[in-house]
Amino acid sequence: MIGFIARRLVWMLITLWVVFTLSFFLMRAVPGGPYASDRQLEPEIEANIRREFNLDKPLYEQYWLKLKQVASGDLGSSTKIRTPVNRIVSEGLPVSGALGLLALAIAFAIGLPAGIISAVARGTFADVALMSIATIGIALPNFVVAGFAIILFVFVLEWLPAAGWGSLEQLVLPAFCLGAPYAAYVARIARTGMLDVLSQDHIRTARAKGLGPLSVVLRHALPTAMLPVVSFLGPAVAGIMTGSPVVEQIFAIPGLGWHFVQSAINRDYPMAMGLVLLYTGLLYTMNLLVDLSYGLLDPRVEWD
Amino acid sequence: MSPRIAAALGLALACFAGIVWVVARGQLPPAEFTFNNDTEIKSLDPAIVTGQPEGRIIEALFEGLVRLGPEKREPRPGIAESWTLSDDGLTYTFKLRKNAVWSNGEPITSQDFVYSMRRFLDPLTLAEYAYQAWYLKNGERYSRAARSLAVGDPVEVELHERTPGAREYARGVVLRGELIEIETDADASQADLADPAKYVELRTFVVESEGRSRRFRVGEPGAARAGADSCRQLLLDFSEVGFRAVDPYTIEMVLESPTPYWLQLVGFYPLWPVNQACVETHGPLDWTEPDKIVTNGPFTLEFRRIRDRMRLRKFADYWDADDVRVETIDALAVESLTTQFNLYETGKCDYITKVSPITARELVKADPPRKDFFPAPQFGTYFYSMNVTRPPLNDARVRRALLLSIDRTEIIATAGSIETPAFSFTPPGIPGYDPPRCDDTNLAEARRLLAEAGYPGGEGFPKIEILYNFEEQHQTIAELVRKQWRRGLGIDVSTRNEEWQTFLSSTRQLQFDLSRRAWIGDYLDPNTFLDMFVTGGENNQTGWGNEEYDRIIDAAKYEGDPAQRLAMLARAEEILMTEGPLIPIFFYATRYLVKPYVKGFFYNVQDTHPLRYIRIDRGGVSR
Repeated sequence: MIGFIARRLVWMLITLWVVFTLSFFLMRAVPGGPYASDRQLEPEIEANIRREFNLDKPLYEQYWLKLKQVASGDLGSSTKIRTPVNRIVSEGLPVSGALGLLALAIAFAIGLPAGIISAVARGTFADVALMSIATIGIALPNFVVAGFAIILFVFVLEWLPAAGWGSLEQLVLPAFCLGAPYAAYVARIARTGMLDVLSQDHIRTARAKGLGPLSVVLRHALPTAMLPVVSFLGPAVAGIMTGSPVVEQIFAIPGLGWHFVQSAINRDYPMAMGLVLLYTGLLYTMNLLVDLSYGLLDPRVEWD
Repeated sequence: MSPRIAAALGLALACFAGIVWVVARGQLPPAEFTFNNDTEIKSLDPAIVTGQPEGRIIEALFEGLVRLGPEKREPRPGIAESWTLSDDGLTYTFKLRKNAVWSNGEPITSQDFVYSMRRFLDPLTLAEYAYQAWYLKNGERYSRAARSLAVGDPVEVELHERTPGAREYARGVVLRGELIEIETDADASQADLADPAKYVELRTFVVESEGRSRRFRVGEPGAARAGADSCRQLLLDFSEVGFRAVDPYTIEMVLESPTPYWLQLVGFYPLWPVNQACVETHGPLDWTEPDKIVTNGPFTLEFRRIRDRMRLRKFADYWDADDVRVETIDALAVESLTTQFNLYETGKCDYITKVSPITARELVKADPPRKDFFPAPQFGTYFYSMNVTRPPLNDARVRRALLLSIDRTEIIATAGSIETPAFSFTPPGIPGYDPPRCDDTNLAEARRLLAEAGYPGGEGFPKIEILYNFEEQHQTIAELVRKQWRRGLGIDVSTRNEEWQTFLSSTRQLQFDLSRRAWIGDYLDPNTFLDMFVTGGENNQTGWGNEEYDRIIDAAKYEGDPAQRLAMLARAEEILMTEGPLIPIFFYATRYLVKPYVKGFFYNVQDTHPLRYIRIDRGGVSR
């Protein structure tokens, strides 16, 4: 297992380097730059800005300097918000993390029971209703869900605040909107997994032993049915992390997602690079954790 | 409970505890006044920023010699308690008040202003607004550093090494002397020598200082060529700039030419002072952190949470603290116009700077009429500029035909609601200036001009393109203009949209036929609009030039009589409107919402509402 983790970590470094290189050259291939504004700058000032961000040096030298800097753990300083990227990350990441975690929790709390119920009650009205809702949930982008949720919960029912950060109440709507499509995915995957397991021999054995339906489903079927759901965790985390910019903007949550989008628009090279690398590392780590958890859930899996 | 379930439960609990902890860190008691500041600001350093959101906060944290009133924007005493102007209109003398202090308790003296002005003009500070201080004698030459120097000039050479014991981010050692020779590199081509961006790279400067002559190259240490020392910068001696401390509480400014709006600029935040010890101790990035920043205005910075909010607290030792009535202010950084409107409507925000055009349209129609929405003209113009280096737009008759076939009323009815049609480049609202109007829609005349230019009925007219940066409103307008021209002139026009930065670089490199643009005035004077279109001006970006126009704009700078000066500018604008490279479309309108209990808040064309004058009065009902 240690060998497996070590190997994967080496691959992670290689992945990070490839992502770094690609983003570095892509960013510089598009027109514009961090010093561009709608007013033309004086040549002296523009030259000094270019010098400050090393943009006056040849590309290969910029690449080398940046690589050294990033490798030392310093992501540089944002050109748009004159603040170290490390500080922006340390302020924004916990916020994004809290939002993502809650969204994920909501996705599983809604999706799992819905999937299980509709598998057990296959073909009934409940099954059709739940799966129809799930299909709609997958089809609706989260900003549409957000629009409806705001009208309903903020302006009609007046239960929740419209936006902002600082209380759990303010986190409910954004986490729900971010998690809703994933709840739908989870429901569908859990249903398929459950149906698969319920038709297997050991379930028939359990039933034949005279166990109650609840016990059969929860103790004998659920652990196996969970496998596809767990493997969905990896892409779900990826989706929630990268899908958060829209939700963060609608609900004015000071997370990292919106920086990610803005830094590309503003040609904020250090910030965009920092966030790309951060997300790469994060997603890679999540996938690694999912792979490791397979071993815990399924004795047939071996790491090597 | 099996260990596995216990572990899962434990993990879930830990996650939840983590969420609660992160959220709890964000909890705050509400501030007395909360407003939305549009976006996360670039910096709190007055010298380097240019945006309105930055301005709102900086004008609350800092104070200049004068500050501008909330309604008429007239100069009021700030750190200066009084000032005088010499008869020739060139020399201002400011008397500083003795009871003004920095937030660290130190008194504010004229030395602070001299330090800040030098820093502001120094090209290494990266002050994009430095040109606002170029009205000072030699201010422009100081900012242009080595490029502005001629043999015989008194100069200052900033070396790389620092005085021993100096603060970490202080300037390098400064040598003063006289420039006695500029040597150009023998191997450099004429084209490179003429390129302003390469100016210092190709030259060696010989400076006589303290009785001996030394040769300098500007650039990185170690990169110097044989026989020359390397220095960080070579500048005109700052004592040549018209800004000096006469004594600790007197400042004298000498201008290049009489500038009637100079006090407006002195009251504009880029020219405001910063604390030398603070800047030099913590450096250009860190000194604006809440625990380090030293300010001198009515408020201090309590904390800053990126993309969330900044909290300002009244500064108890501010010289006029009795007149500041709000204890705490929160400035939110919400970017979405819909979200800020939601926050305002649910009472979480007392003032938002703008609503979306669609919302504005609904608010105008609201019944009963809204008591908190006051659309009124603003000091900005939405216009189309034409690239006169490309045919057929190089023909003034074609430009005029296009201008005459625009229907502004239809544009506003479709893409806006509260804007006013623009028939001049300069918006109304400047005291004493009545902008000359261009003609309204006149299709017959437009067709005649087009025929005269060789395209009767639009026949043979080359296909031209409207460039705009991607935003819904711009798109609607571009499509509409295209339709109007096809309808009115029978010409074929296409549209192209580009993302903002690509758009900027296209317009700068004149890679367009027609382009959408907008200009918001910096100070209340026609010059802020008109000097943009002088031949080769940095923001001209149309290739257009007219000698008569340039002559008038330049002559107006030296005109002492204010009325005469405005008359001259009006003549210039007339030229711009008859043959110039632009089609004014509409003047922007203010789109802010402010709760009726917010007092000390006034409409002005610049749409600037200083936080210092705000007070909250929930007792009263009507404004």
